[in-house]
Amino acid sequence: MDDDSHERAERLIAQACVETISPEERAWLDQHIEECARCAGQSDATERALRSLRSVTVQLDPELVKRTQLMVRFRAQQLEGERAGMLPVWVCCTLSWILGIATAPLVWRGFEWLGQHAGVPSLVWEAGFVAWWLLPAIVAAALLALRRPESGRAGL
Amino acid sequence: MELETQSLVRGLRRHDPELLDHLIGQYQFRLLRYLLYLTGRREVAEELFQETWIRVLERGSQYNGKAKFETWLFAIARHLAIDMLRRRKSPADTPASLDDLGDPGEGRAGFEPANPPGAALIDLLAAEEEGEHVRAALACLPAAYREVLMLRFQEDLQLEEIAAVTSAPLSTVKSRLYRGLAELRRQLEKDHGR
Repeated sequence: MDDDSHERAERLIAQACVETISPEERAWLDQHIEECARCAGQSDATERALRSLRSVTVQLDPELVKRTQLMVRFRAQQLEGERAGMLPVWVCCTLSWILGIATAPLVWRGFEWLGQHAGVPSLVWEAGFVAWWLLPAIVAAALLALRRPESGRAGL
Repeated sequence: MELETQSLVRGLRRHDPELLDHLIGQYQFRLLRYLLYLTGRREVAEELFQETWIRVLERGSQYNGKAKFETWLFAIARHLAIDMLRRRKSPADTPASLDDLGDPGEGRAGFEPANPPGAALIDLLAAEEEGEHVRAALACLPAAYREVLMLRFQEDLQLEEIAAVTSAPLSTVKSRLYRGLAELRRQLEKDHGR
């Protein structure tokens, strides 16, 4: 038996554990192992290693599970509270957008009138109109940003 | 199965505490075992165990049911483990890979031999002795090898799933498995030879 066949056998033994080998390769390997004591030993050692690996388990402290479940429940309540607390913000934002869309033509004319009476360039009062539209989103974003740190790792 | 996954996705999205209780109970051993293999330290593993479930609660809406729940769970645990080690170390020696996670020598207390119910005393003693050998052999392996060996042969994850958990290419996962298996066999043979 040459070195190549031993090398092939070693490779197939490992491959059979990690991935899969074809039926032809399996047949060749079985045949080789029957005839070669060294590779048979290799195969046994690999199987033993895997059996040993599967035999290892861990001891778990039941208190750890209980503690974790309590912490998770506490955090779930916090999240629920935060979600409920955000509801008024979302309602205000929605109402603000609806009102904004409904009154847009009126507000545009208002800004135009103010701009003409104040004698400012049209670009200025147009920018004012855009800022008026963005204001609710900016307020909402600021509120969300303010809430984030307290919701972060609270309770841990 | 599809129905189960869908209800899992919905429950996680709702932050359902009952579901979380159930999941913690169901995956307690597997998650702690994974974290023990990964970090090699019981106290760190237990801390990460708790943090992982809090993260599952907070990020539940990100689970879409396309991957197995345990794949997602182990990936979260792994990210937290790496984050924790980065936080605890100075920026100068931030670990570049899992090989730097924990001191394998400290992991021995974390691994326990299996005691199957109803086994005869002689079997229990043999299992205990065998468990001791495996603990010693595993402690000598780099964490990256321990991790993939455990995911493949204890968790029975597919290679693609291991790649997803470890955020590593499939070829890297395979090479870690081959090297890890060879190293484990060598260590066990060395132990048995003593």
